[in-house]
Amino acid sequence: MLKCSNIHKSFGDLEVLKGIDLEVAPSEVVVLVGVSGSGKSTLLRCFNFLERINEGSIEIDGQVIDPKKQKLSAVRAEVGMVFQHFNLFPHKTVLENIIEAPMIVKKMNKADATKLAKDLLEKVGLADKADVYPSKLSGGQKQRVAIARSLAMEPKVLLFDEPTSALDPELVGEVLAVMQQLAQEGMTMVVVTHEMKFAREVANRVIMLDEGRIIESADPKTFFENPSNERTKQFIQLVD
Amino acid sequence: MELLKTAYEVFMRTYPGFLEATLFTLQITAVALVLGTILGLFFALMKISRSKVLQTIANLYITIIRGTPLIVQIMFLYFGITSLVVLSGFWAGAIALGIHNGAYIAEIFRGAIQGIDRGQREASSSLGMTRGQSMRRIIFPQALKRSIPPLGNQFIITLKDSSLVYIISVPELFAMANREAAQSFQPLETYLVVGVYYLVLVMIFTFLLKLYENKLDVDK
Repeated sequence: MLKCSNIHKSFGDLEVLKGIDLEVAPSEVVVLVGVSGSGKSTLLRCFNFLERINEGSIEIDGQVIDPKKQKLSAVRAEVGMVFQHFNLFPHKTVLENIIEAPMIVKKMNKADATKLAKDLLEKVGLADKADVYPSKLSGGQKQRVAIARSLAMEPKVLLFDEPTSALDPELVGEVLAVMQQLAQEGMTMVVVTHEMKFAREVANRVIMLDEGRIIESADPKTFFENPSNERTKQFIQLVD
Repeated sequence: MELLKTAYEVFMRTYPGFLEATLFTLQITAVALVLGTILGLFFALMKISRSKVLQTIANLYITIIRGTPLIVQIMFLYFGITSLVVLSGFWAGAIALGIHNGAYIAEIFRGAIQGIDRGQREASSSLGMTRGQSMRRIIFPQALKRSIPPLGNQFIITLKDSSLVYIISVPELFAMANREAAQSFQPLETYLVVGVYYLVLVMIFTFLLKLYENKLDVDK
């Protein structure tokens, strides 16, 4: 579903990604972990071209994406992203946040978009919040709306960039529950997170990034109980 | 006290003419603001565009307009344009004032647009919106709301700056006051009265602006 080969990315003189190869199968849930500065968020942002790679290639659903030849907006419409700080549109209600992209990008009519949005709000447990503005929601509710907003575009892959890091501890669970439900329904997901419990229980594969390279890639059981790399062992001791 | 009494007499004697002149002042201000807002939006978008040529044009415009006195611009435009086409003092003045304001309003819009959190653009991009769609639907509506207080301030400046077009004989409020002061030999009283006219106009405008800002605040 998502495949990248030999990705290099630098910011000025600083090389953040030093040759990443990764393939994500349909319906697979991949969790990216690593200390801050390891490049995991940058890698995620390369997948939907919020960052342009300097070298290497990215394939989505069997198609190699060339930023020079293709309209990136069309590519991004197929790769959803959930941000750490939600980035809901503050001047629009919850419902308007969700129907915006389907109507503007996919030219869906308002009645269909509204029906879709209401179904998605139902799914994330916020059916009663359709007409309120984001400023009236808790962090956990905001993030669930942001997930619904991404889902409204029916993406092939959903990227999560530390979706629970900005939340109060007691609100983390409700967001993770929605993510777990999506995983069970077969959504292809790449998740950057510090929630090791989620990695352990939901991921099909856990990948450790260190200084711009993948140093460990294994199923959760092996990753946490029998990691091969010394740095991974240290990391697990530190966070678990 | 004596001054207030004679000023009141001047007021009673002059208000028919002054009210008519006030209308002129408001008309000039309105034309200048509409033109200035359109130009301002235009140049703000040029300045944040990815084209170096457009950026340079916008920077040149803003530098020249902000770097020269308004009264020089009025004279330049009046004598410049009227040598090419027949244009009344009213239109020459209003256009000069509009072009002048455009530079300041461009900077207001640019600041507001660039002040919107980067995450808003990233979120709209990640949903598949193009740069244009994201600007129209997500960034600009938020930026416009933030522009309103500084725009209101700029509008007040414009209203007062419109007095400078007296120099090209537009019969607006200040030109009327000048004439009255010279004819009546009561300059102090006359300028006091005209000052109050401007003050009242600005106060009314400020009040309307406050109402509007409060209304915008209701939801977010």
